[in-house]
Amino acid sequence: MNTIDNTGRPSFVVLQVGPRRFALPSETVVELAPPVRLHRFPHTSRLISGVIVRRGRIVPVYDAASVLIGRSSSAQRFFLIARRRWDSSSDLGAIAVNGKCELASGEMLAPDPDQPAWLAGRLLINDEPVDVLDFGALPCGDATAVESRSKEFPS
Amino acid sequence: MTQAREPNSKPRRARHAERVILFFVSGQLFAISAEPVQELRRTDCLAGAAVEIENPELPKVRHVVERGGQVYCVVNACLHFGLPVARPGLVLILRQMRVAVLVERIERMAEISAVYALPAAFIGDERHWYRGLSYLDDGVIPVVDPGGFLRPAEFQRLESVAKRALAQAELDGAVQG
Repeated sequence: MNTIDNTGRPSFVVLQVGPRRFALPSETVVELAPPVRLHRFPHTSRLISGVIVRRGRIVPVYDAASVLIGRSSSAQRFFLIARRRWDSSSDLGAIAVNGKCELASGEMLAPDPDQPAWLAGRLLINDEPVDVLDFGALPCGDATAVESRSKEFPS
Repeated sequence: MTQAREPNSKPRRARHAERVILFFVSGQLFAISAEPVQELRRTDCLAGAAVEIENPELPKVRHVVERGGQVYCVVNACLHFGLPVARPGLVLILRQMRVAVLVERIERMAEISAVYALPAAFIGDERHWYRGLSYLDDGVIPVVDPGGFLRPAEFQRLESVAKRALAQAELDGAVQG
């Protein structure tokens, strides 16, 4: 992960999904995991590609590319693990990325009124506008109805 | 049946291994606890006993079997899990559930040390299908919930359909005999 700037302002992890760059607030990011095996099994949950096992936990992998750029991307081999928050709950989730993640800082601008709920705002990085994601607001269904959480797992 | 571990429980030092049957459905590996499985049979053993039922609302159940005075609903696991339909080679007859499950083949018996709850991200039918996930031979395997093949409402609906089909089959047999 390269460091661009970090001078006390809010910091963000900038990730590449297909041709576009997005940012996640750095306090939600747990780690950039190396290429590990994606385990797949039958399920009916939208936007879930499978799970990875990382540091003793089963982490669901979100097919964020299909929401963010309108198609799945097979070029993403690394996994950015971040905390998803909704209401008073949170859980870990991973987004497949290509490994080119950067740390950036800056003031987040409010999103345009017509932006989808999963865009929390916008960041200007070297005059390039980068959308900031609200990982918990990605349209993955009503996860609040689900009681169980991922937990310790033998790695 | 062992339940999936509580989310915030500490890792257990001394884990009790659970014996499971590993089986394939349409090329996908699953595990089911050995305890609720009463019998494993080749599908051709049931061929004469299976009675076809009219049940368009629940296409995964097309047959019932009467065994020891009990009616078993035969669930096609390919359709249950939304997998491409493959020719089943074996049937798992479940104890106390009155369910027989058509599967492709048995891989082997194994022991798993724990079943871990599905992550909250999974919000669909899989929450009924699986007790959770387990880890075996560097792979994550879904551990099937034997009670998830048919829900109580589905059972009720099937029971009346099955009774009619079995009565008709008995009548047909009497006429032919």
